[in-house]
Amino acid sequence: MSAHDWFVEHRMDYVARTLEESELRTFQDHLARCPECAGEVASIERDLAWLPMGAAPVALRPGLSRRLAEGVLETRGRRWMRRAMPAAMAASLLLGAAGWLAGRLETERLARELQERDRRLAALTDTVSITRGADRVLQASIDMDGREGGILIFDDSATHRWNVVIHGLPPAPAGQVYRFWFICEEKMVPGAEVSAGANPALFTLPMPPEGGKVMGAALTVESLATPPMEPRGRTLAELML
Amino acid sequence: MTPTRRRAGHEARSSPRGSIWAAGGEDLRARLVARDERALAELIDVASPWLLGIAQGMLQDPVEAEEVVLEVMTIAWNRIELVGAEGSALMPWLLRVTRNRTIDRLRARRRRGSALAAASADPGIVRHVEDESRIDEAGAPGWHVHRSVHAALDSLPEDQRTAVRLAYFEGLTHSEIAERLAIPLGTVKTRLRLGFGRLRVSLAPIKDWVL
Ligand SMILES: [Zn+2]
Repeated sequence: MSAHDWFVEHRMDYVARTLEESELRTFQDHLARCPECAGEVASIERDLAWLPMGAAPVALRPGLSRRLAEGVLETRGRRWMRRAMPAAMAASLLLGAAGWLAGRLETERLARELQERDRRLAALTDTVSITRGADRVLQASIDMDGREGGILIFDDSATHRWNVVIHGLPPAPAGQVYRFWFICEEKMVPGAEVSAGANPALFTLPMPPEGGKVMGAALTVESLATPPMEPRGRTLAELML
Repeated sequence: MTPTRRRAGHEARSSPRGSIWAAGGEDLRARLVARDERALAELIDVASPWLLGIAQGMLQDPVEAEEVVLEVMTIAWNRIELVGAEGSALMPWLLRVTRNRTIDRLRARRRRGSALAAASADPGIVRHVEDESRIDEAGAPGWHVHRSVHAALDSLPEDQRTAVRLAYFEGLTHSEIAERLAIPLGTVKTRLRLGFGRLRVSLAPIKDWVL
């Protein structure tokens, strides 16, 4: 039995969500980079799209419709999402044109392309060793108080992780901190606090265990006083897969 | 929500509920994208009873179930540009996210060591999802889909149906089902695989219905 057979066997269990937590993480990691499993999972989801309607409907308590509508329209996250989503989609289109979906570029060639594509990223040549195994690279520029920086994400199929490089960030304003977020299908999931002390800042993140499919990433500057549950501060960069 | 078929070549079912249902989900989605708050109210009216049914069936807590529905509706409203953008219909997306979020809460509750949901406490007893003080309007939007899904579930052999209900409608994992039914883990997996496999086949004809 090959290692992949386990994933093939558990596709239905993933859709049904009967996997144990650790198995779920393993499966999600795999799903992010296996088109075959992703395709089959999507197909199962389509076939079973209406299965949740096997649960009988519940009559809404009096006034619940109105409370739901008011609740939705008053959500605090609304401001950020409304602003971020169209921008993120535009960024996605731009990345589609300007970025590249490398198959498995060799390190040297990738390094050369990086330099050719954007001189501002030249400072990163010493970090290019992390691109080994990256089968997808995302990039975006960061504008922070007139200083131009950049963010690169190397999607590493060997480790099932994202290697993230952020450069050109000035020290965070007093009382604030840079935060990296996963943009997931269902919500924003905190990724990491980014230290501007190291330049470039390098860190490695596993795929988030919650929030659904990872659709992109964002960098924001947040108040230190805010618990890192959802982005409230200014968005410096967004990348969509 | 009398479903309409999306693909050309299939005659759209006539809708007793007016143009919004006959037009399918694309029209409603377009109005949501345009930030039409009346469209939000319509979505809440038609979808909430079903979403609440999923959440309440698993959580056994009306207040928490309503919180889940509010979360899901908020995501749909705030991210409507992405919802259904890849050809997936709006209602299946809402159903899926509701179920996922409900299971997230169930698992979190169990991690915190709370007792399993009251209705799940009796070993061997599988509560029928339809047996409580629930809507009983055969004319309710979506009822037709509900009946089709029920027919598919009812056609499963008893042991598979029981496993599927515990897994899909009560949110239990493989090991929790094994414990509940006092059967080996491998048997649970086999029953679920057979049961879901049959459901895939029997539900495939309705998969392209849209809200
Ligand atoms: Zn695979």
